[in-house]
Amino acid sequence: MSNLNVPVLPSRKSDGRGVRRRPGVGKSVSVALLVLGAIGMVAPFLWMFTTSLRDASHAYDLPPQWLPTEWNWSNYAAAVSGPVPILRNMLNSAVIAIAVSIGMIITAPMAGYAFAKLEFPGRNSIFVGLLSSLMVPAQVTIIPLFLLMRTFGLLDNPLSLILPGITGALGVFLLRQFFLGLPQEIIDAARMDGATAWQTYRLIALPLAKNAVSTLGVITFLGSWNAYFAPSIFLNSTDTATLPLGLVLMLGPYGAGNVAEVMAATTIAIAPALIVFLVAQRWIIASLTQSAVKG
Amino acid sequence: MTLTAPTTKLPPAPPTGRGGRPGQRSAARRREAITGYLFTAPTVIGFLVFVLGPLVAALYLSLTKYNILTAPKFVGLDNYARMFRDERLATTYGNTVLYVAAAVVLINGFALLFAVLINQRLPRALTYVFRSAYFFPYLVALVYVSIIWQALFQKDTGILNYYLTAIGGDRIDWLNSSEFAKVSVIIVDTWRNVGFAMLIFVAALQEVPKDMVEAARMDGANEWQVFRRIVLPMISQATFFNITITIIGAFQIYESIIVLTRGGPGDASRSVVMYIAEVAFNKFDMGYASAIAVTLFLIIMLVTLVQFRLRKSWVNNE
Repeated sequence: MSNLNVPVLPSRKSDGRGVRRRPGVGKSVSVALLVLGAIGMVAPFLWMFTTSLRDASHAYDLPPQWLPTEWNWSNYAAAVSGPVPILRNMLNSAVIAIAVSIGMIITAPMAGYAFAKLEFPGRNSIFVGLLSSLMVPAQVTIIPLFLLMRTFGLLDNPLSLILPGITGALGVFLLRQFFLGLPQEIIDAARMDGATAWQTYRLIALPLAKNAVSTLGVITFLGSWNAYFAPSIFLNSTDTATLPLGLVLMLGPYGAGNVAEVMAATTIAIAPALIVFLVAQRWIIASLTQSAVKG
Repeated sequence: MTLTAPTTKLPPAPPTGRGGRPGQRSAARRREAITGYLFTAPTVIGFLVFVLGPLVAALYLSLTKYNILTAPKFVGLDNYARMFRDERLATTYGNTVLYVAAAVVLINGFALLFAVLINQRLPRALTYVFRSAYFFPYLVALVYVSIIWQALFQKDTGILNYYLTAIGGDRIDWLNSSEFAKVSVIIVDTWRNVGFAMLIFVAALQEVPKDMVEAARMDGANEWQVFRRIVLPMISQATFFNITITIIGAFQIYESIIVLTRGGPGDASRSVVMYIAEVAFNKFDMGYASAIAVTLFLIIMLVTLVQFRLRKSWVNNE
């Protein structure tokens, strides 16, 4: 409080020492806070893994053990051979996620390139129309989509999730951003050398977009792998169910399932996200944040 | 046809810009336009069949009575009028608005706090570890993290209550009491999404010019003044983005509640999306469900447009 009326010069002087000391104290406080937060983020996963290794009869033992006390892999064997065909569900999820990702990394870069580098009547209005679809929540279109899939006999069929998933405005937006940053001279030079529009795209522009396309592929894969809402409505048998549906089935109503087995299955289900995270964290973070910050 | 292409398979190359005759130029322009349409065709078709078409169909269905067994019967605005008398809709919308408010405040508040802390000059490895830890839950399916959390929330066996009683508190019935069911949903939602919002804030904080901050400190501004007068205005675009994303996301909250509480007890934690799914796919009241879904769409569109307008006035766009 006494600082309030201190003239600028002396206060700067006295701050000279303060500045050096304050970050020291401030920094340890903030590191402590960050550590606390990080523990909160990681602890549930740690508990999941530890519990997955415990004998079912010890799964609820308190006080909780945070590090594995036993290395009992039998829950994993039980999880994959239980009444819910978890491995089959995992395969379903993988097929859908891979098909959707491949479709997306073919269609989105093409459209993104066209919107960034080709001139055609209506280009901007089509792009704005596409972007506005980001405002349409999935819950609004789900009923007509359900009726559409029903009409074409695609309910309980992975195609009901693959077909709507292979195109999308977000990917087009991300790739358009990338191609806008590509110097026009590169395109012009290729065209002058006699390359067709397709060749210019396929041989010049697309290879340069490798990172953006990989990121889009990873994001699309995870989005599909993690999806619950549409699968829960389009798929209705345990054999066609995706992994999230399978795990909810396994958990049973009101969490009645064997917790050690459920945690073993959840550990398996989370593994791909963990792998993607370890391999591609940097790209994903960069591409997710650029659109927000640079607008 | 005057230019020779490198291989025989190639169609005539486009004219070399300004040099071509008018006829050639317009032919090239037409070819480029056709290419543009072909390149965008898959996306546009997907948009028409899977977004725009269904959206129009939903608007139409919302004006009908339709149980999927008999043809839709046009009933005008009956479904919309019915909403005002539907107490369950009021409850579920009320819950959803609470989730939205909590998400905006808690996710963005914690995200900003952690972003400011992480943005100090910490050792690189430490920054990396923190960023990873906070961001990881965002990559994991909401269903999976909810499965973990519902075990932690159990009244008698959950570790949350274990630690709560260890410090002298009472056991909380996290998932089965009407207040705490909502609290549990909010905890999981905040926990999972804080990392993503934090990354957006961190990216924005790194763009704040350091000399500007230093100059303000030199002039005697304290940390709070620096933050309030310089940093906060400079990151307003990220704030805008985060708030929009959290509002839109929270209005659609669904699967975490399915796993945690199944909407219960009663409708105490049920979201409007759960109610739409129930009306549509358990009761097969497709017309009414569509009408509710349309209101959700209008809200989300309104939020997006309002924030788009606001952005012009309070976002520093230099």
